[in-house]
Amino acid sequence: MLITLAWRNLWRKKRRTMITVSSVMFAVILAIVMMSMVNGMKQQMVDSIISNTTGHVQIQDVLYHDEPTMDHAMEYSQEVKEAVEALGDAVKYTVPRIEGFCLASKEVSSRGVYLMGVIPEKENKMNDLSTRLVDGEMFAPDDHFAVIAQGVANQLDLALGDTIVLLGQGFQGMTAAGKYPVGGILEFPLPDMNNTLVYLPLKEAQMFFAAPERLNSLTLMLEDPQKADDIASRLKAELDDEWYTAKTWEELMPDKVAAFEARDAQVRVFAWVLYIVAGFGIFGTMITMMHERLRELGILLSIGLKRGKLAMVCMLETLFISLIGVLAGVAVGFPIVYHFFLNPIQLGADVGEVMIDYGMEPFMQFSIAPDIFIYQGINIFIIALIVGLYPVKKVFRLDMIHAARN
Amino acid sequence: MQTVIKTEGLSKTYTNTAVPVHALRDVNLEFKQGEFTAIVGPSGSGKTTFLNVIGGLDKPTEGKVVIDDIDIATMKESKLFDFRMRHIGFVFQAYNLIPVLTAVENVSFIMLLQKRPKKEMEQRAKEMLEQVGLSDKLNTRPAQLSGGQQQRVAVARALASRPDFVLADEPTANLDTESAFNLLDIMARLNKEENITLIFSTHDQRVIDRAKRVITLVDGAVDKDEHFDRN
Ligand SMILES: Nc1ncnc2c1ncn2[C@@H]1O[C@H](COP(=O)(O)OP(=O)(O)OP(=O)(O)O)[C@@H](O)[C@H]1O
Ligand SMILES: [Mg+2]
Repeated sequence: MLITLAWRNLWRKKRRTMITVSSVMFAVILAIVMMSMVNGMKQQMVDSIISNTTGHVQIQDVLYHDEPTMDHAMEYSQEVKEAVEALGDAVKYTVPRIEGFCLASKEVSSRGVYLMGVIPEKENKMNDLSTRLVDGEMFAPDDHFAVIAQGVANQLDLALGDTIVLLGQGFQGMTAAGKYPVGGILEFPLPDMNNTLVYLPLKEAQMFFAAPERLNSLTLMLEDPQKADDIASRLKAELDDEWYTAKTWEELMPDKVAAFEARDAQVRVFAWVLYIVAGFGIFGTMITMMHERLRELGILLSIGLKRGKLAMVCMLETLFISLIGVLAGVAVGFPIVYHFFLNPIQLGADVGEVMIDYGMEPFMQFSIAPDIFIYQGINIFIIALIVGLYPVKKVFRLDMIHAARN
Repeated sequence: MQTVIKTEGLSKTYTNTAVPVHALRDVNLEFKQGEFTAIVGPSGSGKTTFLNVIGGLDKPTEGKVVIDDIDIATMKESKLFDFRMRHIGFVFQAYNLIPVLTAVENVSFIMLLQKRPKKEMEQRAKEMLEQVGLSDKLNTRPAQLSGGQQQRVAVARALASRPDFVLADEPTANLDTESAFNLLDIMARLNKEENITLIFSTHDQRVIDRAKRVITLVDGAVDKDEHFDRN
């Protein structure tokens, strides 16, 4: 009955209620679109980080993350293989890598490069490495030639068929030295990568670093990225912690995670500004709604409706307005973001290029994660509860004789 | 006959004013079951104050209001809500009704608060609306009713829950003569048929003639207390 009363009270002044509901609705729509955009972008960046750099989880030597030298290359032991196998279908595939800085030269010119020993088939699965090939071919696991980035080729004046000489520090202080014919050239959008990367087949690179059967990292790509934490801790439990550790991409890229969090916080602040503006709309409406029926409220109290129940009616009115606003906002906001989720906005030349540089598609991707919508509901509910305190207080302070008389 | 309300040494002094106002002075009255009483007196004589105090809406400065052997003057506010809801019916001068509820819902409202069985409640509400001549307005909202009809719904609501007594503060003040007579006739008839004690205040000499007992207040004190034999 109290619910009926509250509901009907809302529609006494239809226009006013609709306006208030609209203010909530627009706040919710705006917040949804904004959050969907930012979440979508974040997801895009996370995907890019995961596929281009860290993967979901990496197994490393315990000391490697803090001190990434060849001495902290881990043994790709039976123990590691078994631990990964024990995870079964949770792991889609693994990507073994050995990598480190070294000096590359041709005749008298030389420069620092970053050498990656990889299995091409695995890299292709993870980041489509072979599609970056602009000249020559990709090596097979048992080949003995190098594939280098275009920037490196230009700076050292290397062409297909030329020989690149590599010099570096191998495992446990061994000198690493080798010369390899250049069999392919890759082009990377990011200058950092384009000017430094040199690829060798994994086995060849292990030989070069004097670290056979050793890896700097074994990257795991998971069936369900959400399970990264779980998988990492299972691996940690399984592996000998004197030698091995497992880290999620978030642990590997803490500064990126912090940046995302800062961005999320910004968005939430903005959303709260919207909610508070809408909250003031509801507040204004509740003030008028209370004042224009003081006599009626006084009479209700006089005939024996308890203050608590009357306060409940007024609180319900506030909640209803908010609830309708949120539902309407979601009803309008969802199709909008769903549309952009299906048809991402193609970005203009300048912005798009920056994204390509960072290894992302030049599209503005929207997210339709349910928590975006749940977030609206919860926060507007909180705002409504706070605003609803006003009529509640008013009811408890109401002097019924005075109110019923005037 | 059984005593329904008894006041002893009832006084009410307002001190929130420049000079203290003695709205009620030592009022000692007894109302018996089934009485139909008009409280009259000039403006400011204390009629409203008296009804508020015996209705548990206001506290006396001194004295007792005994209903059902309980002195409600000392009752806590939270208890008074329940007490009013169970024992007292109210009719105010105007705007008695809940605008968003239909006539039949308004009449059922107090019975609803009393958690009466739904069926009994509906039946009683319809019966009461019939009694006040509004059986064709069951589902009409107050805004679509005339002032007189609204007051009749209010009377139906006050009586529907079968309270110990009904208090009506100038129930006819906003009505034209015909509606005022009509309302008073209905109140008089229900008083007899339902044997409910009715106390109403009025300025209006014309409606005073319907009452069986007329109490005149002057400056907050009982000036006259007359009984008439009417039918
Ligand atoms: N809340 C209040 N504060 C101060 N004085 C009050 C208050 N209510 C009533 N009074 C005073 O108490 C006296 C009695 O008022 P009351 O309203 O009971 O008279 P009344 O007989 O109902 O008058 P009317 O016929 O005009 O309705 C008046 O002098 C009035 O001014
Ligand atoms: Mg009065």
